[in-house]
Amino acid sequence: MAIYKTEPLKSWNKAKELRQKYYMDYQEAHKNGGIRYTGGAWAFDAIPAGLGHDVYNITGEPYAASIAFDHKFSEECMEATEAKGWARDLCSYMRNYWGSMYLNKYAFGGEYPKPDFCFQDHICCSHAKWYQHVAEYKNLPYFCIDVSVGPYNELDENRLMFLVNQMHESIEWLEKVTGRKYQDELLIEAVENECRSTSTWAEVCMLNMAKPAPLDEKSMYSLYVHGTLSKHSKEVADFYEELRDEMKYRVDNQIAAIPDERCRLMSDTQPPWGFLKVFRYLEKFGAISIGSLYTFGLIGVWETKPDGTWGPRTTPMQKGEKITTRDQALRILADWNLSKPEWQHFYDPNLKSDMMLQIVKQWGLNGVMLHLNSGCEGLTCGIMENRLGIAKTGVPVMTFEGNMGDEREFDEKRVMARIDSFMETLNLQKLKS
Amino acid sequence: MFSKFFDWYENRHDYAKDWIKKTGGEVVGCFCSYAPEEIIYSFGLLPHRMLGSHEPQDVTEPHIFGMFCPFCRDVLAQGLKGRYDYMKGIMLSQSCLHLRQSFTSWRNHVPVDYAHYLYMPAKVQTEHARPYLKGELEKFTKSLEEWTGKTITDDQLKESIDLHNENRRLMHEVYDLRKGPNPPVTGLEAMVMVASSFFVDKKDHNAELKRILPELKSRSLDRETGARLMIVGSEDDDTEFVKMVESVGATIVTDDHCTGSRYFWNEVELKNGDLLQDIADRYIDRPACPSKDWEERTRFPHVLKLAKDFNVDGAILIQQKFCDPHECDIPMLKKYLEDNGYKSLFLEFDVTVPLGQFRIRTEAFLEMIGEEDLF
Amino acid sequence: MITAGIDMGAKIIKVLLIKDGEVLVKTQEVAGFEPLEAAEKAFDNAVSQAGVTREDIKYIFATGAGRSAVPFANDTITEVSASAKGVLFSHPSVRTVIEVGAEEGRAVKCDENGKVQDFAINEKCAAGAGSFTEAMSRALEVPLEEFGKISLTSEKSIPMNAQCAVFAESEVVSLVHAKTPKADIAKAVHDAIASRIVSMVRRVGINKDVALVGGVSRNPGFVDSLNRGLEVEVIVPKDAEYVGALGAALVAGERGKK
Repeated sequence: MAIYKTEPLKSWNKAKELRQKYYMDYQEAHKNGGIRYTGGAWAFDAIPAGLGHDVYNITGEPYAASIAFDHKFSEECMEATEAKGWARDLCSYMRNYWGSMYLNKYAFGGEYPKPDFCFQDHICCSHAKWYQHVAEYKNLPYFCIDVSVGPYNELDENRLMFLVNQMHESIEWLEKVTGRKYQDELLIEAVENECRSTSTWAEVCMLNMAKPAPLDEKSMYSLYVHGTLSKHSKEVADFYEELRDEMKYRVDNQIAAIPDERCRLMSDTQPPWGFLKVFRYLEKFGAISIGSLYTFGLIGVWETKPDGTWGPRTTPMQKGEKITTRDQALRILADWNLSKPEWQHFYDPNLKSDMMLQIVKQWGLNGVMLHLNSGCEGLTCGIMENRLGIAKTGVPVMTFEGNMGDEREFDEKRVMARIDSFMETLNLQKLKS
Repeated sequence: MFSKFFDWYENRHDYAKDWIKKTGGEVVGCFCSYAPEEIIYSFGLLPHRMLGSHEPQDVTEPHIFGMFCPFCRDVLAQGLKGRYDYMKGIMLSQSCLHLRQSFTSWRNHVPVDYAHYLYMPAKVQTEHARPYLKGELEKFTKSLEEWTGKTITDDQLKESIDLHNENRRLMHEVYDLRKGPNPPVTGLEAMVMVASSFFVDKKDHNAELKRILPELKSRSLDRETGARLMIVGSEDDDTEFVKMVESVGATIVTDDHCTGSRYFWNEVELKNGDLLQDIADRYIDRPACPSKDWEERTRFPHVLKLAKDFNVDGAILIQQKFCDPHECDIPMLKKYLEDNGYKSLFLEFDVTVPLGQFRIRTEAFLEMIGEEDLF
Repeated sequence: MITAGIDMGAKIIKVLLIKDGEVLVKTQEVAGFEPLEAAEKAFDNAVSQAGVTREDIKYIFATGAGRSAVPFANDTITEVSASAKGVLFSHPSVRTVIEVGAEEGRAVKCDENGKVQDFAINEKCAAGAGSFTEAMSRALEVPLEEFGKISLTSEKSIPMNAQCAVFAESEVVSLVHAKTPKADIAKAVHDAIASRIVSMVRRVGINKDVALVGGVSRNPGFVDSLNRGLEVEVIVPKDAEYVGALGAALVAGERGKK
């Protein structure tokens, strides 16, 4: 017997359309004289937005996750990359992406659409190297902004200015390689949209504090992805506001993501994209993953409120701040991004453990599942210290091995067996269907 | 002739403990060759770059996920096993994700009084990195002032810079001797010379280098030089491997390793009228670790120049297992070297290496590059 | 009340019946290609040897890799829980249970009731401890039983790569080429494998007492290496291969009381 009522998300189709349009726009950018470029999901895409409304990007990580979702194509991509001599343990997103480039195949049909330039940022060892190779292989101009200036709680003027100076430099570079005149008002618009979309996403996640949770993490993946595609766009910011309103409606009406919620969990790092059934399996025990630092804070921007709780970061607009100059916009953009939760553990695992424990407390969780994701050294950096940090407080925590983008690294049977054992330690038995 | 260096290398802890006793100073463990040793030394502290011990260990699994390199785990194991119980300070100069985990886990689990994370820029190819790094060096200096209760004068810093520059010049002199037809220095000796400089007061190291250099110039080794090889890649102080290579008809004449030439290649140039800026520039301009070598690939022409200057016959590309930065370079570097007429052998290293199998591969490689001469 | 535990191991199927906390009977069958038939057979044998009927058995719990395939079981528990329960039945002071089989190694931290508090399973890179020992004994042409014993005679300690079985294997080949005595190689292999297991145990902590179960517990060379690595003398329960079935039968008994 179901405890709660469920109903499909109304925003689902909109989410799908937006995503399809994004990949299509990129593919067809040149038809009307537009510009297309490539870079990572964390790149400052608000900056190239100043080149015009006809500038489209493709972000490597979600693109590679789409490849991973297609087992057969992913395998072809991996093999193409390995044939060029690259190691099997490199970032599996990067290997999928390179494979698609080598094979000259676009995951959504047709040829790999050659970008006009690469625009990236760098916090993990592979970030800059990823597009270094894309640029050398496709003979493209390339600019990458180094953001590895330490955690946000240690930010100072010197560190902020390192980013802002590089951003100014990148604008001069963009004008040079595209021959276009840069428009500051478009930058300002994009920065405002980015603050709005990433803060609103945090609001969506906040609503998942409700019991029952209106969203499960598997669905969240299809929604947070827009922030990884085009966090600076008006469409995404507007979409997240609609989504937030729908979440409010679901919370008010006790509409649950799963009918038998009796155990609330969080995961960590990217999931094994080809095996999202892990999350469906949890449902058999009445367990739900309500999110993770990854889904909350990869794109969502948060802050600690005066009462010590975690909440969406107040945007400059909400504070009544008016952005009028390029420099001001870039300073805000740099500061805003440096406070991103998923950028903090690169310097100190303790910062991440603290945030995870805050989620456990605030979202009322019963346990944590850490994905030891051998496909991403960036998000697994410090993960074993996170395990220790969480276990120390008595919160049940399990690990399972996998790879976000390389299914050959995922042993389904063993992972499910581990989940069974973890469920036993949480005193959960499978629900009788 | 190099016995002192071998002694220091093998008994690094004894040296450090003696140094503490003798000087009353403290030892600061450094996690990467980007550590600005000049600053540390000027405080009367001994910078000590930590390496692993090449022994299997079972203490790091709770701390670092197995997909990170064996070197970063080996380093952490030294701390967890209490081998550095005399060391009160640690510092990391930011480079790869692997080694920074050794630092954070060390700080979490090994008792130290002082731990500083220096946010060394990754993009060294922008001019903005120079003032930025200078600012970070100021913060580092300040943190050392707070820890030691000392302040340093420009004269003290200048003295430290001179001492480090002298060490770099002297090691260059030794390397230069390897350019000739019958190098008077083996690759093993050169490796241990550089590695011992991580542990030893540069005053002692310089004195020993000055002592051996005159003799070295006229030294004739009782061995065939054989094929002239260079080693290129990740952290590498695998003396057993080098010994093996040099026992099968080859001599290693140069390298591009952070544990080798990259560590000492360039000097601090006094050109800004600002010593911290001069130091910052030195670390920005040094031969790059692959994790910092972008957007342009500056390493490749540097490696090629080494190959030419030292007249090498081939290269062994060495990669710590799971070392992402080098994995992102090696296939392209291999191609680049090949396009420029240099064959290479790729080997993946762990804490210990299968010497027997590596010997077979090395011999096959030597046969291959030897045959080229026939045509 | 009589309850039964069935351990559906990959190679051998074990059945154990208990009555009010007393073990009645233990049986086993080779799993072969028809594990279900083997399970039926082992179970029937157990029932007849105990002199009871199938109807006398109140609860049947299955555990082991193939646990969900037993149609006549009332419920299942995982190997992790079953081993801890089973070991604490005979050794109540145990708080850490290490299980090392052909393919998988596990470490379980439990409380005084045998309830699992935390567990670690070897990561893929360190898999196959048992199989690796077998393969190496074959490579050295020493029977597996001897392989454990000769290792005890070695005084040498040869470092071998601890993490990856593939790398370790190349090192063994190197040692063979270098004409290293077999006893020393055997010890190096056991030390290397034990080191991997110790690494994993450290994740849950080495809390005394420590018990070792699983096929590799019968290899004295491995046990010796493990004791040195843990700096603890591990307890190897008698009938170690039945702890899973015993644990399952005990949990079935607890369920019956509810």
